[in-house]
Amino acid sequence: MAVPNAVGESVLAGGGERKRKRGSEPPLAKWRTEGEQRIYSSRLIEALRRVCQSSDSAPSASSSDHVRSCAVREAADRVLAVSARGRTRWSRAILSGRTLKHRVRPKARRPKPVSTACVARAAAQRRKPPALEKKTRVLGRLVPGCRKLSLPSLLEEASDYITALEMQVRAMSAIAEAFSAAGSASLPPTHANPMRTL
Amino acid sequence: MSARRSRSRQAGAARITDEQIDDLMSKLQAILPEARLGRNDRVSAAKVLQETCSYIRSLHREMDDLSERLSELLSTTEMSSAQAAVVRSLLM
Repeated sequence: MAVPNAVGESVLAGGGERKRKRGSEPPLAKWRTEGEQRIYSSRLIEALRRVCQSSDSAPSASSSDHVRSCAVREAADRVLAVSARGRTRWSRAILSGRTLKHRVRPKARRPKPVSTACVARAAAQRRKPPALEKKTRVLGRLVPGCRKLSLPSLLEEASDYITALEMQVRAMSAIAEAFSAAGSASLPPTHANPMRTL
Repeated sequence: MSARRSRSRQAGAARITDEQIDDLMSKLQAILPEARLGRNDRVSAAKVLQETCSYIRSLHREMDDLSERLSELLSTTEMSSAQAAVVRSLLM
């Protein structure tokens, strides 16, 4: 594995900054290392090749632009979840829940029956005001697999998820740039398909 | 049913202290881009949660745009193993 850059190393060596609860807290720093991004990029490129091949062999209906970009997005998310090595809830949810995305959503969001007694009781038990309650719920919906998580766990998952997403964006931007550059460079065409000059 | 389960789990688990939540909130605040919240002054928990949500949404949007762009590039560039190697070399 590639040696992490200086920033990553100092954070990991520091150690004292993050207290490890039962050894389960994943360090965020790994998402920011060059090595991790490189591994992600090469895995993603392989996955994109498969997307290419499957849309080439499939009938034209299924290789519409939207379907392909969905396939790209799914591949990117799947590879990202794999990179998490099963340590976080959001990554496990992505890997296990991929098929659900294609199904019809089981229920529309049912309106929550809010009575003052219910709200007061919930607030007292969870020890935070209802305003936070609602925002917590919204956040729980945004992070995969974290709808019913307690606030501390949700915040941990959210921070890991955000840092991973940032790496994903960096990696995909770099790949897109590399594709553009490769496309405009004078490479010998291997198949009949014409290369678009940018 | 699941609500009852999560409630009893919270009662059984260690009491989540305000300090713990504050600590996690400040860690989250450190992750959010500086433009969204001042880094120095402490912001309310509600603001942190709100900015976190909107940041995640904007990252998702960026991902959708990038996926579209990559998808277009893939459709016009024949992705042979030779080209995969070229792309990799541009990244490393």
